[in-house]
Amino acid sequence: MLEDSRLRNAVEWATASGTSYADARYVERESETVSVKDGQVEGLDRDRDRGVGVRVLHKGSWGFAASDRITGESVVVPLFEQAIARAEAAATVQRRQVVLAPQEPQRGEYRTRLRRDPFAVPVKERVDLLRGADAILATPNAKVRRVSVASYRTRKRLVTSDGTDVRQEIVECGAGLNVTAAAAGTSPATRNDMRNVRQAGWEYVEEFDVLAHARTFARDVEAVLAAKPAVEKPTTLLIDQPFLALLVHESCGHPTESDRVLEHEVAFAGTTFMWPRDRGTLRYGSEHVSMTADATIPGGLGTFGWDDDGVPATRTPLIERGIFTGYLSSRETAGALGLSRSGACARAEGWQHFPIVRMVNVSLEPGPATYGELLRGIDDGLLLQSPASYSLDDKRQNFHFSTQVARVIRNGEVGEYVRGVAFQSLTPDFWGSCDGVADDWELHGFVSCAKGEPLQLMRVGHGAAHARFRERPIEVRV
Amino acid sequence: MTLLEPDALLSPLHTALKASRLDEADLWVHRRRAAVTRYSHSSIHQNAVSDETHVHARAIVGSAIGATSGNSLEADALRELLAGAAELAMVQRPNVDWPGLATGADHREPIAFDAATARLGAADQATAIATICEAVDTAGFRAAGTHSVDITEDAVANTNGVSAYAPATVAYLRALVLGEHGGSGYADDLSHRAAELDPAAIASRAIEKCALDRDRTQLAPGDYEAVFEEDAVAEILRIMSITGLSGQAVREGRSFLAGVIGQPVTGPKFTLHDDALHPGQLAIPFDPEGTPKQRVALVERGVAKGPVYDRWSAKAAGAASTGHAVDPGRYGHGGHAGNLVMAGGTATRDELIGAVTRGILITRFHYTNTPDPKRATMTGTTRDGTFLIENGRITRALANVRYTMSALDLFGGIDLLGPQRLVRDWWSTNGMGSIVCLAPAMKVSRATITGSSPA
Repeated sequence: MLEDSRLRNAVEWATASGTSYADARYVERESETVSVKDGQVEGLDRDRDRGVGVRVLHKGSWGFAASDRITGESVVVPLFEQAIARAEAAATVQRRQVVLAPQEPQRGEYRTRLRRDPFAVPVKERVDLLRGADAILATPNAKVRRVSVASYRTRKRLVTSDGTDVRQEIVECGAGLNVTAAAAGTSPATRNDMRNVRQAGWEYVEEFDVLAHARTFARDVEAVLAAKPAVEKPTTLLIDQPFLALLVHESCGHPTESDRVLEHEVAFAGTTFMWPRDRGTLRYGSEHVSMTADATIPGGLGTFGWDDDGVPATRTPLIERGIFTGYLSSRETAGALGLSRSGACARAEGWQHFPIVRMVNVSLEPGPATYGELLRGIDDGLLLQSPASYSLDDKRQNFHFSTQVARVIRNGEVGEYVRGVAFQSLTPDFWGSCDGVADDWELHGFVSCAKGEPLQLMRVGHGAAHARFRERPIEVRV
Repeated sequence: MTLLEPDALLSPLHTALKASRLDEADLWVHRRRAAVTRYSHSSIHQNAVSDETHVHARAIVGSAIGATSGNSLEADALRELLAGAAELAMVQRPNVDWPGLATGADHREPIAFDAATARLGAADQATAIATICEAVDTAGFRAAGTHSVDITEDAVANTNGVSAYAPATVAYLRALVLGEHGGSGYADDLSHRAAELDPAAIASRAIEKCALDRDRTQLAPGDYEAVFEEDAVAEILRIMSITGLSGQAVREGRSFLAGVIGQPVTGPKFTLHDDALHPGQLAIPFDPEGTPKQRVALVERGVAKGPVYDRWSAKAAGAASTGHAVDPGRYGHGGHAGNLVMAGGTATRDELIGAVTRGILITRFHYTNTPDPKRATMTGTTRDGTFLIENGRITRALANVRYTMSALDLFGGIDLLGPQRLVRDWWSTNGMGSIVCLAPAMKVSRATITGSSPA
């Protein structure tokens, strides 16, 4: 279906059947995961699937149908018949009709640039790398160790009744590490990071340096286990990139999803505190805080040629010098909100799902200061590295995060480890206390942003740099 | 999706296993039709149906394991899956933890399948939603929510002679009612029979809460008496399950059960089983390893009894699998307690509320997590119906609060229990989690509130 005429023929059939819009999306996916747990190869898994999903706009309502039973000449038209029936039913409970933002027809092909195909890396090489990392993580008090590498390849083609016909091949790979240490008389300590994935070849895993990360994690987990509880008081926080990548995801990415504004997600994922009337006026953070959605960043998990509406990748400011300015949008939500064009954020997990508004690469923009300058500006504070537990309310306005690693900062220098640090805040209060962002911006990749009904797990990217936050109340639980 | 039925589904699996000539191999198939209709602003905005097949193959060569998965039941595809799994196994070292394949054993007949539900169409789903929207519109509010129908078939076959098949249906309807005054109310129904979903009653419950939810005030942090409705209890049970109820978590010392089996861990009014065989549960009677599911006592009258096991964690513990393996791609090895049954009581909702001098009523939670897994501590914010109770009556609406407390301490303070209802936690309602609970509403003497959203 990547090359033949079945998708186009079926879309033409749907158009002739009276639908106002139709598209057909063929997707094939493969992945390979190798994991080593406590010295044993725990899993060596290879996963493949393929299928077709079709959408129609009929009588002002959407209908969608998908299947993996796609052998034969005329397999797509019956899917369109089901989709039209779903749209007919939807139109019986309708207050407002779907209006799509305009989009010129697109043609072309997008492929990930890579130097070494991760699927071609010998299994032995992957296992040896993981065994090496596992051996480093085997600290005196380590109870559970797990390291893994994963590779993903997605090929897809989208044909629409607007004249779009685009093909994409996206390759991603990355590594994950996890170690939990425990000792009598204290609660366990965990160090993990499963968000080191890029749209790239195996060269990314080599640059990431799994063994170096294992050494850091081994040192950290033993130090945290032996650490004293932090002192519970308002303090200055210097937060690292992996931690802020998740904070940006949860406290800016989700509340700027425009389908939440339209209450499409209200019964499950929730809504937002950032409404259309607030654009251009709502102070989201301090003047140091700017955030963007950018699907053109090389290596991002939210990078592509076109979204699943067939809209080319673009860059959208979300927060500009602390002021809320933009949304993540699709053709449908842009149309509903009166935006001039879609922000190219309509994506579906695989062939079997309806495209919804998803994050692309949503990032905290770098600042002018160096990490050292931010650090030297702290007389008494904490360096927080990598998130542990996190919980958000349904408007993304009230959040709670705990940290894997906290270290005391005294007179501009990083000192001893402390335990049990967590904080809760309202989103604008937290970002409003930011008084500096460093220039050490780096990209992180999340493979499982969860949203939608039924569940859709999406790969998204987030860039961040160290940032400093003043007078933050913390909780200490040990 | 047309049901394939046992012979048509199992026959190609046995043929492929025989042709593979592998000494140890298994195949697990999960077929699913998901028909999901979502609505907001009293208008359907998403109406999707999807047919999926997942085939998982494992080949074991000298106790080294390879695994593959695909989405076709064609003979060539199954042959390739098993050959690929064997190829992956052959490049590995032996795994000393390999527990061996399940052996053939009888399992109970599946009971969670309803043919009428499997026949439900898009128009039927729209009709149920129209009933809710009409009632909500009449009340002057707006409605959002979901109607979903899942039809599934599971089959497991292995070279030890396991041959298991079960169909199932899951019907779910929820309504979130919103008012221009900023209030919201929530209600849902869950069953394997769509006929047991009651759109009018769901609308009525949600409308009542939305109407009450006006002029919110903030609650100061502190300890309060509380009434947890069933959906809120399911959230606490989920945290207990994911942090502490698997054999793997106990083995690794991460569980609240570790080292305290036979000792009190909560108060005497708390009893919890995992029971996929309960007639009120949603489950099939075997796990993906092909082991029949068993009823497992987890906590009885406050005393820790033990975790659930899959074959991996059972071997490590010197125990037998209780039939609690799950998709290893989602949860890893170790066992998963996903059909929780918490003992209930006879207290009515009014009696639960009437027993509170000054406290809080919690309808449900949003995006919970655990800052202290060993104590099964949960933090999360409430939503869609949080109220202040004074002298046995709901007196006013509250802004959503952040709750943070150990499940063990919370359940240690149970005063009264209502009857059980089939519910799911927030995470499991869209498939992020996979836990179904028969859970009661409860009145507790102490719930810890650690913050509040703006009023």
